[in-house]
Amino acid sequence: MELLAFLGDFTVRSVALGAALVGTVAGALGSFAVLRRQSLLGDTLSHAALPGIALGFLVSGSRSLTPILAGALISGALAALLVLLLTRTTRIKDDAALGVSLSLFFAVGTVLLTYAQRHVGAAQAGLDAFLFGQAAAVLPADVTLIGGVGVAALFALALLWKEFKAVTFDADFARSLGMPVLALEALLTLLIAVAVVIGLQLVGVILMVALVVAPAAAARQWTRRLEAMVALAAAFGALAGVAGALVSASARGLATGPVIVLAASALVLVSLLAAPERGLAWQAARSWARRRALGSHRVLVDLLRLGQDHRDPAYASEQGMLDTYFGGPTGHVLRRLRRRGLVERVEHMPEEGAHWVLTPAGRAQARELQAPFGGRRDEGAAR
Amino acid sequence: MTVVGGVHEPTLALHVEDLTASYAHQAVLWDVDLNVPPGVLAAIVGPNGAGKSTLLRCIIGAVRPNAGHVYVHGRPYREQRRRVAYVPQRTSVDWDFPTTALDVVTMGLYGRLGWFRRPRRTEADEALEALAMVGMDDFADRQIAQLSGGQQQRVFLARALVQDADLYLMDEPFAGVDATTERAIVDLLKDLRARGKTVVAVHHDLQTVATYFDWLALLNVRVIAQGPVTETYTAENLHAAYGPRVVLLGATGGPAPAAAPADRAPGEEARTPVA
Repeated sequence: MELLAFLGDFTVRSVALGAALVGTVAGALGSFAVLRRQSLLGDTLSHAALPGIALGFLVSGSRSLTPILAGALISGALAALLVLLLTRTTRIKDDAALGVSLSLFFAVGTVLLTYAQRHVGAAQAGLDAFLFGQAAAVLPADVTLIGGVGVAALFALALLWKEFKAVTFDADFARSLGMPVLALEALLTLLIAVAVVIGLQLVGVILMVALVVAPAAAARQWTRRLEAMVALAAAFGALAGVAGALVSASARGLATGPVIVLAASALVLVSLLAAPERGLAWQAARSWARRRALGSHRVLVDLLRLGQDHRDPAYASEQGMLDTYFGGPTGHVLRRLRRRGLVERVEHMPEEGAHWVLTPAGRAQARELQAPFGGRRDEGAAR
Repeated sequence: MTVVGGVHEPTLALHVEDLTASYAHQAVLWDVDLNVPPGVLAAIVGPNGAGKSTLLRCIIGAVRPNAGHVYVHGRPYREQRRRVAYVPQRTSVDWDFPTTALDVVTMGLYGRLGWFRRPRRTEADEALEALAMVGMDDFADRQIAQLSGGQQQRVFLARALVQDADLYLMDEPFAGVDATTERAIVDLLKDLRARGKTVVAVHHDLQTVATYFDWLALLNVRVIAQGPVTETYTAENLHAAYGPRVVLLGATGGPAPAAAPADRAPGEEARTPVA
């Protein structure tokens, strides 16, 4: 009852809606960031947004979200340009340039934020919520802005879907088709920056990268098509966003960002373990099945070879001999093969143990298995 | 000729003039002139770092040259993009990208589709047809990461075939493929030539160049020689491109027998230089 009343609350509902939108946009565009190996660029964009947030507040003199987000977008873009400039004109590599740019902008942002809080009353405006995110600080008007910008970004992504896909998979080929590759790449980076910026109030500059990268990384595990990956990442992002916003809003003073990141990380963990084909559990199951099949194959071929060595296709091999040949107990393997009609158990001599003989079907399969290795002698008769 | 009513009469399938390109002030291509007539299989051959891939990437506009121009069938490349298909090096893309073989081939039709339009049923059918031409139609829905190197190369070729171009630019189409695939690709190239198409391929194997191709350009930053393979594939030219350590028994003019090498497998002593 309490939960229903909580969910019925208008503010909570609008915050949840905002979080869902932020997660959807971050998940969808984050997929491209991950596939383009630009995950760290997302981190730089979000940390570098801090000076823009402080300046947006200082210049406009109000808590209004529009100037703050505009400032965040501009300073993020400047940081991205700095990275480009460093890698193009110096010998500094990508990762180092990203690190330099990130820390420089974050340091400037921290100084500006401290100044704003001391002198202009930013503390009352809740500006520090932008560090770790605070769902409670999100106003319904903010949700409208976030939603509008987010939907516009998704619309642009849908419109240029095939161009973005071609540029991400094979930029040279896209160029040969006449696509303006540089402009498309710049636009894609800008859209990723937009996805980061609209999430800052909710998730915070420090952890926003997780909402860009984690849903995409989780979604990659489950699918083999870009369309499905982006849709799934959007859904994962929305799920993590809503979960984080609701938990944080119900527990007073709990920052939203960390809760969202925990939810997203849980999705990644489950995906890494359980996803078909790529998941660790799936791979373990498959390797177990392979080992099992290999065991059966070896026992079949061993039986065939023993028959060949004794020049008797119907040669009954004693189980103890097979154990020695196999290097371990073969009883369970033989019983499995008998269920599949490939071997039969025969009584040989009462004082000896169980004996096994290949059925015609078993012999056929064993020969097939042996064929790639030259077939060896056939039935022993040839020698 | 396929061009009817063109402003200029096409005499060359590909015409590159004065092309110069550099990375960080180091010339990679210097004053390259390249002329390829229509209907030939042309190989671009040269040592590592000779600028072979850069030349192709300059032609398609992926690298901006410092100087020079590129004409295709008598008109500037920019106007002729639809008539050119480019096959990049297989290793230049991330094959773990989440997509299927059919989807990659469909990308060949993106240029024809133009902005904003999505591929539909017709495009999928055409892509499937192109996959069938390279013997890969059974793998249409296969995730590209699960394909072997040779199969990936065939998917790239199918993507070029679906473009139905007149000039095919290929960067090392035989790199890392097995003998069967190599044979299949050669047949495919010959089929293209039989249909009047032109192929310009970067090639790295000096032993097969004379049997697979009928036109040859030797490149080492500059163009060393170009022309019909029977005239260009000489010991003198190979030495000029690779240095004096290369010995090619099949080559004409040098320490080799002077017979025309085109139909004969080059001798065992032939070796490709390794940097």
